[in-house]
Amino acid sequence: MHIATKKPDVRFARLTVLALAATMIPLSLSVGASASAKAAGPTLVVYSAQGYDSATVKAFNATHPGFTVTLNDNSTGPLLQQIQAEGNHPTWGVLWVDGAQAFAQLDREGLLAKHIVPKVSFNTVGRANIPADGSYVPTGLTATGALVYDSAQIKASQLPKTWADLLKAKYKGMLGMNDPTQSGPTYPLIAGVMNYLGHYRFGSTAAAVKAGEAYFTKLKANGLVINATNGPTLSAIAAHTIKMAIIQSSAGYGAEVSTSPTFRVAYLNPVTALPGVIGIDAKMPKSVRAEAQKFVDYVLSPAGQHVMQIGDPQGDSLFWPVLNGEKPANKVIPPLSTVPMQTTNPYVWGPLEPSINTWFSANINNG
Amino acid sequence: MATELTTIPPPLVHRRRRLSVASVALWAVLGLLIIAPVVSFLLLATSPRLFQQGPEYFTLRYVAEALRGSTGRGIIDSLWVSLTVSVVSVVVATVFAWLIHRTNVYGRRVWAVLMWLLLIVPTWMMTLGWSDLLQPYGAASFLGVNTHFLYGEFFGPLGIVIVLSTAALPFAYFVIAAGLRGLGSEFEDAARIHGATRWRTMQTVLPIIAPALLSAFAISFAETMSDFGVAFTLGYHANFPMATFALFNAISSFPANFSVAAVIAIVLILSTIPPILLQSRIMRRRSYAVLSGRSRPARRREFGTLGRLGATAGIGAVFLLALGVPVFGAVAGSFVTNLGIYSSSPVRLSTAFYQQVLHPSIADKSLAAPLILSNQLGLVVASVTGLLAIVLARRLITNVGGWSQRITDVFLLGSVAVPGVVLGVGYIFFYNLSFISNHVVDLYKTLPLLMLALVANSLPGQTRFMAGPVGQIQPSLAEASRVHGASRWRTWRTTSLPLVSRVLLWGWLLTFTKTIAELAISQILYPPSAEPASVTIQAYLANFQLGTGTAMTVLTLLEMLAVIVVALGLYHLVTPRGWRRIGWSGVKS
Repeated sequence: MHIATKKPDVRFARLTVLALAATMIPLSLSVGASASAKAAGPTLVVYSAQGYDSATVKAFNATHPGFTVTLNDNSTGPLLQQIQAEGNHPTWGVLWVDGAQAFAQLDREGLLAKHIVPKVSFNTVGRANIPADGSYVPTGLTATGALVYDSAQIKASQLPKTWADLLKAKYKGMLGMNDPTQSGPTYPLIAGVMNYLGHYRFGSTAAAVKAGEAYFTKLKANGLVINATNGPTLSAIAAHTIKMAIIQSSAGYGAEVSTSPTFRVAYLNPVTALPGVIGIDAKMPKSVRAEAQKFVDYVLSPAGQHVMQIGDPQGDSLFWPVLNGEKPANKVIPPLSTVPMQTTNPYVWGPLEPSINTWFSANINNG
Repeated sequence: MATELTTIPPPLVHRRRRLSVASVALWAVLGLLIIAPVVSFLLLATSPRLFQQGPEYFTLRYVAEALRGSTGRGIIDSLWVSLTVSVVSVVVATVFAWLIHRTNVYGRRVWAVLMWLLLIVPTWMMTLGWSDLLQPYGAASFLGVNTHFLYGEFFGPLGIVIVLSTAALPFAYFVIAAGLRGLGSEFEDAARIHGATRWRTMQTVLPIIAPALLSAFAISFAETMSDFGVAFTLGYHANFPMATFALFNAISSFPANFSVAAVIAIVLILSTIPPILLQSRIMRRRSYAVLSGRSRPARRREFGTLGRLGATAGIGAVFLLALGVPVFGAVAGSFVTNLGIYSSSPVRLSTAFYQQVLHPSIADKSLAAPLILSNQLGLVVASVTGLLAIVLARRLITNVGGWSQRITDVFLLGSVAVPGVVLGVGYIFFYNLSFISNHVVDLYKTLPLLMLALVANSLPGQTRFMAGPVGQIQPSLAEASRVHGASRWRTWRTTSLPLVSRVLLWGWLLTFTKTIAELAISQILYPPSAEPASVTIQAYLANFQLGTGTAMTVLTLLEMLAVIVVALGLYHLVTPRGWRRIGWSGVKS
């Protein structure tokens, strides 16, 4: 009688112990190896969403022996998720992504080291994107809200010149843009439009937000097409579903030099500066912060700028340098002086991102 | 003699103690793998301050926030879509299982293998394939087919249900096929001998595999609830919010709203309880162990030529839609340079995207090293998961209908419904706690932690997957072996192992391939400068290098396929012929 019930249980117990042992032994060995590697000392981890980051880190390590920098290369969203989840026990030493809003938030929380700006010669737009406390540094510049169009569908002379022109009936159903909840550079575009149309200088942003909401509501009524990110928006132009889109300039130039040679980039007056930005974690040990500073210095050196310009020639390398004497990597990019560019204050517009995105989703995406 | 045996107390006490030690050890491992990280995340729903994510130690604010607006609508959408998909997939899977295992339909072995391939194709690839086929100037348009109307219809609830049903189909199929395995034709014969009509025979016989049907329903429901690929692609484009997308949205903004995401995760987990309770209630009534040494192969129903051709065409059509379309889409996207582009010129075929894999446009971002790392991860994760899954599957089938079994079942199915991103972020919260990293183990941002998370991600599905075949082995087989003097090891090797060897192999392959394709957890937990293949491919897809990314995807799929072929070849060479003959009939390779 008991044979029927006892033996499977005993066998099960033994199988369990065997399996657990077999599971845990290799993992324990692996854990031990990792722990001893960690015990060797803190390391500098660069959290980056830049296409040229692998090349930059490799070049830095080759020229700076004795302290190996490692890279967490991801999209901006997952990187910021990780930083927020790490809380008071951070792993990141350097954060390097497009847009200054996240940095303004981290600065407010006291998570960024101050006064890290290297002593280099910044151009005018570069200087305009450096905060007073020097808690982050622009490393390159793109524009958000650039008008990317297909020259096979619409001639340059037929393009709108101002933001108000986009509301005209002749452009009905021609324009696309990205969803700010899915595409990082799109909220800065919306904030930039609000900043411009509301004539915001300082004080309350309420009037600017109201003016911007009215504008996007009219744009929606004029057939604005929303896609998630740059890829689907550019695909919509390629499929002739739309003729033009307001997106990040580097995405337009990237399409022009790779898959879509008839694509061009134009600029309404004004577009909004979207700097590539780098910052250092204030919570890291002093030795790591010192290495992080060396990395920031390297990025803004001629050698670092060169690597940035060749690291991702069909994507993120298509930026304007923020240093005097440096030129864009590709001739498709016009001189920065010819682009009407405004700079928005990330400390003002950053905190409004959740509420403005929620409004946009409810009224423009699904409205 | 019997009375004497039942009244001997010491062995009973001894047995309970040993079983208890094993149970504690098992739950401790599960606690570290799944429970602690997931609970850490879920606690944020009401206590954001525990992990420095807000000022409150207790609040219900985020519960209210998660249940209204588009987030609340997403939860409702997910529930009804999952319910529909589960019913559709169970019905289709039952028909398929019967046709493939009980009739003379053509290509039975091919269909079973294709079902496995369907299991490893991620849902995002299915939608990519459909999109490449139906989009303006897509593959269908190059073939002269106007798909404008279909494109609009597909990007909506209809397309979502179709893709998710094809994704859930293999999960349901394998569970039901395993159930049919034990259903010898003697049951049908008995019914017919007693004068039952065909319909009445079916009514008599189907309840015998009711546990398999309910299990298939439950696993389909949980898998559909946790799917993100379709929610992100078809759901987003159709303005049809689903729960996993709402969860993703909550944590993809900055600052992330982890608390709202935690509430949605709790809803996903709780939604799996009703199917489990229903299944448990039915299984408590009697034993469904029907596979034994006396089980006889079922007699196949012989269709006439027309019936045989019709049934084969029906199965073929479903596979064409479920597998053919995504594979065609991926291959077309990697070879056709003007796909989706308005053009008066014909299709332009080129190997340029494959050349870019060898000479990547992004410096120091090739596929080779990441793919090697992903294979190493797959090897370790699949092996560890296989071992643990066997143990858990045995626990699941012992004490059927009891509380222990029900708790294990709810735990496993609830874990299936947890999206990878929740597990990934939960791992950060738990393993990056100062107490854990300073006083217990410092694993954050290391390869072992990524392995643990990937094991945790695969284990629930793998266990439920193995529970069917393992549960069908009658204890009398092992008892007979032991009575004849075999050791425990020999007993297991000669009775259980031959019966589950094939499912072990396919379970290993399933986890291996899923590990290589996994993105959500890898993206969050991969150690710096040790990038898995899925993260590298995503970097290209997100960086407008769609052709290169698609070519990399095709190459990775081919590599997975090669591993499957090699593993099956080795199995064929190494295992005794008897294992292949009597092994789980749900898998014919």
